[in-house]
Amino acid sequence: MNIARFLSSSITIAEMEARKIRHDTTELWIRIVQPALWLLVFGVTFNTIKAMPTGSFSYIQFITPGILAQSVLFIAIFYGITVVWERDVGIITKLLSTPSPRASIVLGKSLAASLRGVFQAVMIFALALALGVQIRLDPLDILGVFAVVILFAMCFSSLSMLLASFMKTRERMMGIGQALTMPLFFASNAIYPISVMPIWLQYVSKVNPLSYVVDAMRSMLLSGNYENLLIDIFALILATVIFVTLASITIKRLLE
Amino acid sequence: MGSSNLKSDNIMAVETKNLTKIYHGNIRAVDNVSFSVKQGEIFGLLGPNGAGKTTVIKMIVTLTHITEGTLQVFGIDSAKSAELVRSMLGYVPQSVSVDTDLTGYENLLIFSKLSYVGKKERDERIKEALEYMGLTERAKDLVKHYSGGMMRRLEIAQALVNRPRILLLDEPSIGLDPASKMHVWESIKQLKKQFGTTILITTHDMSEADELCDRIAIMSDGKISVLGSPVELKKSVGGDIITLNLTSVHHGIEFPKDIGKIIHSDEESIQILVENGEEAIPLITNFYRDQKITIDSISINKPNLDDVFMKYAKRRLHDEFSTHASSARRDFVRHTR
Repeated sequence: MNIARFLSSSITIAEMEARKIRHDTTELWIRIVQPALWLLVFGVTFNTIKAMPTGSFSYIQFITPGILAQSVLFIAIFYGITVVWERDVGIITKLLSTPSPRASIVLGKSLAASLRGVFQAVMIFALALALGVQIRLDPLDILGVFAVVILFAMCFSSLSMLLASFMKTRERMMGIGQALTMPLFFASNAIYPISVMPIWLQYVSKVNPLSYVVDAMRSMLLSGNYENLLIDIFALILATVIFVTLASITIKRLLE
Repeated sequence: MGSSNLKSDNIMAVETKNLTKIYHGNIRAVDNVSFSVKQGEIFGLLGPNGAGKTTVIKMIVTLTHITEGTLQVFGIDSAKSAELVRSMLGYVPQSVSVDTDLTGYENLLIFSKLSYVGKKERDERIKEALEYMGLTERAKDLVKHYSGGMMRRLEIAQALVNRPRILLLDEPSIGLDPASKMHVWESIKQLKKQFGTTILITTHDMSEADELCDRIAIMSDGKISVLGSPVELKKSVGGDIITLNLTSVHHGIEFPKDIGKIIHSDEESIQILVENGEEAIPLITNFYRDQKITIDSISINKPNLDDVFMKYAKRRLHDEFSTHASSARRDFVRHTR
């Protein structure tokens, strides 16, 4: 397989998404509403009552990385719906009829999801700065956060595509998305520290990928303690490669 | 737009042997089909909905797995080298498949990149394809504002940017108004003439098949029930019927058998079955002139492909409910916004 061609196909698929976003930015603005509510309502309220043991950080500082991770998760996990929709309108058929390898299309689609994730991250950064949330603004850390956002979105969007090739309808994918996001979100350290959870939930939280992503983002945005960062990122890359590979094998099922 | 120097030997553009597709364990959507498409011809796959036409095309485009049998595109085994096979073909699916959230130009740009058209040729080819399909002026508009006919043309343009050696068109004129249909037909004929592109189309529009195809295969129940040129197929359902209106009574005249056979006659009119109507008319008029009988009017009725279709694609009632129509139905989902 020709690697240069492979990557060029993937980037082209992401370019397709970028061009669509450029033609219609509405979705980007609508997507900011939910994280804005979390930060403005939930964050500000709990910041005032100081009910959470968030150590040396204020509560709003604590949840900013959590909300960032959560909103990227939402984009990624529902990406399968987009792919099912594109199947319905024939775009997937068209893409798969080109000489581009299937895996490059799937990888490209996951890059497209991460592109949306990056836009989301930019919005949340802007929102956090506007609210005066104290975050570390070291350029390398910011780059690191974006790298994690990209990987995280690729990982979960390819998982979503993998599920879509078996579920095949938008309705089912909607259900799957709902069934996955809420447990992942609430059983993670996104909006409260693991220490306040009941013991059983703490165990769940330890195998929850979202916890690791939030952990990685917190270490870069807040603490500057990079102890677990390499493991976090390695785990993400590994999961992404596995999901992209599996989804490339199964994507043809969408057409049958 | 495969150039003629590629037509080196007598390799078939498409060659299938015992091609079979079984869905869900027991539905034989395509059942032991063998046929070849010659280079440079327009080959039509006809048949009722659910006959297996789209499945054949999907197997050629490597979009669906072949259950049994072999399929070669320009001598290359599609099961072994799917990407190579895809690089030689252009595919226009049944349902609208252009991205309506992009402009016409962008659709072509993305597609040419995914087909690895070199950076140098890309702009040239996109420009050409747009001009060829008459879309240059609307190239910068979002496709969602295009009419159905323009979308179809854009799709063909899209299939042309990688200069395919074979173009596969699944129901190319479905849902188009007569003028758009003509436009699409003209471009298809032009492609064959100008570039020698091999074209495989599926349709259940008999006039379309008659207009375009050099050879036709009629599929029914996943099998090919007949294959031949439109002329051959029409002959196979019987010859032309010539109807004469005569001024005077004509009883007792023996009609020469080598011209044709009288199938119906009454006081003033006669119907004659002949093999070739155009050739028979002068013979018939000469015959009656010799008999001193004046002909008032002559009309000729040719069997059309509808008759051929009805003969070879007859469906038993239970097939109306057969499950392998479901995949065709799913393909028919059209994008409306």
